Amino acid sequence: MSVVPAQQSGGAGGTSGLYDVLELVLDRGLVIDAFVRVSLVGIEILKIDIRVVVASVDTYLRFAEACNRLDLEAGPNRSPGLPDLVGEVTESGARGKAKGALSGAAQTVTDALGQAREKGESRVRRATGSRKDKEESE
Amino acid sequence: MTTYVYGIARDERADPAGPAEPEPHELPEGLTGVGDPPRPVRVVGGGGLTAVVSDCPDRLRPKRRDLLAHQRVLAEVGRWSTVLPMRFGSVSDSDEKVRAVLAEHAERYREQLDRLTGRVEYNVKAVHREEVVLHLVLAGNAELRALAAANRASGGGSYEERLRFGELVAHGVREREVRDAALVEDSLRPLAEECRPGPESAGWFVNLSFLLTRPAAERLLTTAAGLEKAHPQLDLKVHGPLPPYSFVTP
Repeated sequence: MSVVPAQQSGGAGGTSGLYDVLELVLDRGLVIDAFVRVSLVGIEILKIDIRVVVASVDTYLRFAEACNRLDLEAGPNRSPGLPDLVGEVTESGARGKAKGALSGAAQTVTDALGQAREKGESRVRRATGSRKDKEESE
Repeated sequence: MTTYVYGIARDERADPAGPAEPEPHELPEGLTGVGDPPRPVRVVGGGGLTAVVSDCPDRLRPKRRDLLAHQRVLAEVGRWSTVLPMRFGSVSDSDEKVRAVLAEHAERYREQLDRLTGRVEYNVKAVHREEVVLHLVLAGNAELRALAAANRASGGGSYEERLRFGELVAHGVREREVRDAALVEDSLRPLAEECRPGPESAGWFVNLSFLLTRPAAERLLTTAAGLEKAHPQLDLKVHGPLPPYSFVTP
């Protein structure tokens, strides 16, 4: 997990956390009729280089290739890239909630849709966790 | 010269007898905001409230630099007081107009400040660690495993076979996203006073903002960390404390 403190004082890196929540500044916050709002036409879309999954041929082929490389003998817990937990973490907070949810590899997903609450939002989804450097354009 | 408005806070020193400006030293020294060069941030008082403002550069456009400046000013101000963050790009004709607006709607802004005192926003985004989630999807589906084995045995399978297989995997991943989104929300929502979905943006299957007291924020961090530990496919990004962007109302 990355915990990103938003209120670091000054210095380089003080904005790294803010970057990921820029959408809040554009889309949330107080609007007062008496003030003019700057036109957002031509806004630099904050391109975060992620591979968006719009169920596409590319995605299918990429998944196929990725699965081809998977070592199914290893448990998922042995996969690389597991999170570095920040600080001393006691599990007591999550333990109660996580029990009976998912645990380990022997899960079936057949009933997932039945259990989950659909949000009714049409979101572009992606299925990759790899976030590359954000494009810098200024 | 127009005035760029970052947010509205209480004027703790407001003297009912007159419109006393808060002492500028309440702002972090040298705090600058939008523009190139960045304009110095100052305060404008009215109605017992304070607006955090700067001069507005000509032809302000939503540049990355200025968006970040807006965020930074609010983050700094939020360290010493409760602030109602403005949406990016709020510009007033003049300081006078800002004072008038503060005075006119003072009641409403004070109510919101009261409601939000001692509370912060945390934004949580979730993505899947691809390798781990693919592992889960295959591990939970014998048919997929059989297909994977068959494809592997024939050197990866034909184009059509790979396409068909990949489509089934993508479907499994999407099911897992729905399920994990519910898991994350159900685990974190009880810790917050309010919860709002974040603005639509591509790239995560969870984007939620929570309004929390500071002690609850600690619990949120602990719970999020515990979720990741219990579910290695989850990669959570927790941002905060933030000014309560998602919990102000006009």
